[in-house]
Amino acid sequence: MNKVERSRNYQHRVRQALNKPRLQEALHRFADAYTLAREKAFAGQDFEELRNGIGKMKDEVRDNIDHYLNQFIANAEHAGAKVFVAKTAAEANAYITQLALEKNVQKVVKSKSMASEEIHLNQALRDANIKALETDLGEWIIQLAGERPSHMVMPAIHMFKEEVAELFSKETGREEPAEIEHLVKVARDQLRQAYLEADMGISGANIAVSETGGLALVTNEGNARLVTTLPKIHVALVGLEKLVPRLEHAHDIINVLPKNATGQMVTSYITWIRGAVPCADEKKELHIVFLDNGRTALAKSPHCKDALRCIKCGACANVCPVYQTVGGHVFGHIYISAIGIILTAFFHGLENASELVRACIGCRACVAVCPSQIDLESIILHLREVLGEEEGIGAGKALVFKKVMRNRKLFHGLLRAASRLQKPVTRGERTIRHLPLFFSGLTEWRTLPAIADAPLRDQWATLNQVQAQAKYRVAFFAGCLNDFVYPELGHDLVQVMNHLGVEVTMPLDQNCCGVPALYSGDRETAIALAEQNVAAMLADDPDYVITTCPTCTMALQRDFLDLLGDNPVWAERARHLSEITCDVSRFVVEKLNSGTSFEKVADPAAVTYHDSCHLKRGAGVWQQPRDLLAQTGRDLVEMAHSDRCCGFGGSYSFTSQPDIAKRILNDKISDIEATGAKCVAMDCPGCMMQIRGGLEKQGKKIRAAHTIEIMAEALPQD
Amino acid sequence: MDKKITQFIQALRNVGGVAEVVKNAADAVAHIGAHLQGPLLAPDSHSLQQAGLKDFLSQAGIEMVCDDFRANGAKAAGGLTGANFGIAATGTVVLESTDENVRIASTLPEKHFVVLDPAKIVSDYNAALPIVRKLHEQWPQVYLAYLTGPSRTADIERVLTIGVHGPRELHVLLLEGISSDFMER
Ligand code: SF4
Repeated sequence: MNKVERSRNYQHRVRQALNKPRLQEALHRFADAYTLAREKAFAGQDFEELRNGIGKMKDEVRDNIDHYLNQFIANAEHAGAKVFVAKTAAEANAYITQLALEKNVQKVVKSKSMASEEIHLNQALRDANIKALETDLGEWIIQLAGERPSHMVMPAIHMFKEEVAELFSKETGREEPAEIEHLVKVARDQLRQAYLEADMGISGANIAVSETGGLALVTNEGNARLVTTLPKIHVALVGLEKLVPRLEHAHDIINVLPKNATGQMVTSYITWIRGAVPCADEKKELHIVFLDNGRTALAKSPHCKDALRCIKCGACANVCPVYQTVGGHVFGHIYISAIGIILTAFFHGLENASELVRACIGCRACVAVCPSQIDLESIILHLREVLGEEEGIGAGKALVFKKVMRNRKLFHGLLRAASRLQKPVTRGERTIRHLPLFFSGLTEWRTLPAIADAPLRDQWATLNQVQAQAKYRVAFFAGCLNDFVYPELGHDLVQVMNHLGVEVTMPLDQNCCGVPALYSGDRETAIALAEQNVAAMLADDPDYVITTCPTCTMALQRDFLDLLGDNPVWAERARHLSEITCDVSRFVVEKLNSGTSFEKVADPAAVTYHDSCHLKRGAGVWQQPRDLLAQTGRDLVEMAHSDRCCGFGGSYSFTSQPDIAKRILNDKISDIEATGAKCVAMDCPGCMMQIRGGLEKQGKKIRAAHTIEIMAEALPQD
Repeated sequence: MDKKITQFIQALRNVGGVAEVVKNAADAVAHIGAHLQGPLLAPDSHSLQQAGLKDFLSQAGIEMVCDDFRANGAKAAGGLTGANFGIAATGTVVLESTDENVRIASTLPEKHFVVLDPAKIVSDYNAALPIVRKLHEQWPQVYLAYLTGPSRTADIERVLTIGVHGPRELHVLLLEGISSDFMER
């Protein structure tokens, strides 16, 4: 399939998924329940410390894989197990089917193993005329339905009891009522005999302990215990990344995994198996098949290798707004959601991952809950760059980034021209409600702000800056939206800063922060822009560089370092810029001790607050803006899911996935509305554009404001 | 009562398991008798022997299955085992199950009864670690189980449902003075 067909095909699947409101509702409800249960399960434990430990331990194994693998093999073989290391999926399938044929195996029972899904083991067995029966309830359901898992931990999460009843009725030849307890009993009764009849049991493993040469299985249903007990042959298919050095490390994973996967304190069963244990008066044949299939290559990828820390808890799907919107069949290949994107690229080829890479909105919700401390977003960004290099980023984008954005004067000139050209559409209003012809899709579900008549940079000289003895001299990095769309935020900023004794400059050589290019996979342009901006922002040697857009903040604090860190000409300056960059809310609270600087409004109106993804999970700022709202006398009413993405994601909501973005925005608007507040505050012009546009389009009388506006309104009048 | 014992009982009950302190073997038998309708798989075990449970159970008229577990397992209504130790924080019983009969008794029947000497309850995974390591050092082949409550699933519409493939009920009977051996097998 060529790239265009592939994208079209994918968009078609997205739209189909968007037409399943029942599934979306179920996944949203699950996410809520999960979040609460998880919080409760981790109460009293230091999650950061736990995940730091797991991350380090997994890195140790990854960097010394030969040592730990050999140690495991020696110990396992000593206990009578046979160990095979399969380089590819084909090798693993061949080993297992060959073994089954040799031993005259007719029937196989399986317990849940994502690795076996990864290599399509059932298909390989079927091709050899061997019947493999899934026994995990969820896996059995999807096997009967002829589908693949839509979640790594809950494979049939996309199905409803009526559908299950229909599948089971076909299997039993009776009419099975759609009652969950009954259906569970049907599964129990139907599968019971199979354990006793099967000649081979195939399981996965959650952990392989080098110190002992044993495996650990973390399960709830009890089928894995039967699968590993009753048949005479046990094959365990284990990804190489499951190795841990010692038993205490296994305990660390056993402690965290159930809590993070489902919010359970502990699963019903942890099963430790080493060697050829007794089986029907003989010894069991235990074969352990370690699976490489791209893992060694992944371990060697400097940007992506952290993905091997994954313990397959599935949390990155649970909290992902894209997953909640389209489900795991669309936002996944075999492996699902954020980690699925990365593993797919390495295990199943970049081609299978490319649409998924673009479907990630970059909100970092996954990064916040990952128990293995994987920066999933950064890795996905890197894959986007690789894809950009491999497949190109599209002629239109390439032109804009390479020829226009890198040339600041041309870029800004075109923006000014656009401001004039849009006049017939905006009719002098501040927002665009309709666009002509095929552009009109962009305003179907939100209005869009017009480009300002005069950008902030053209107005800057006129702004009041009288500062007798400035406490600080700060440089303002405005970013495109603040500069060209919302210049009034710059006025507010100057007023607030001046009132607090700070002088603000706006270096006019600053350009776009480069994130749009970077997120589209054009690293080269991002580097060029980073260099321009480092030079511009440091030219005057300011005390601080402040921002009103958290995406810009992350660019200056994090991305520039990554882009220029290896370049001796720029590295030191990029580091300095990173250190002095601060978003405005944090700056006001922490550097200016603004405590009593504002006048409280007499009649405190209720305000709710939306946490921007990059501010909360990138810059780690969420309390400060709330403090500021309180300092200005607002009544803060928290909305549900305040830190869930609004669906903006830059070009995500314009060109790459507008349908998904729209659905995510609608969720946000419902949450805002439910608070009853007449104003929603936020610290990001991108979120503002998205949320304001959605509120306006839906005719809601709720104001969307940047926190800096609210601060400016609370300045004492003199 | 020792804090670890109360914590163990609470944690196990939280996940839908039954935890009872029994004063003597007769009480244990009474509990089992009250919950069992059918044959009981009872593999050899140090704890069970110390408590003399099997004899009491036979005398109470319970049908005891002591051999050919594979053939009889599917028909049995319950299994009875003696735990190596317990973990208070999670309400877990740890069962050395390398003996296949122990595995069958604890997986196939609908109900699983475990006797545990409360003196063998340790606080948490950390405290369990040296014991688990020692259990691995004792013999080359190991099949060790942490059991926490009944078998469960949430695979249909994420609704928690008890008793899918493993036991639908887990009863842990805390009986003092039956064993101080963490390594029993
Ligand atoms: S990437 Fe992290 S959150 Fe996602 S499944 Fe792996 S361990 Fe869990």
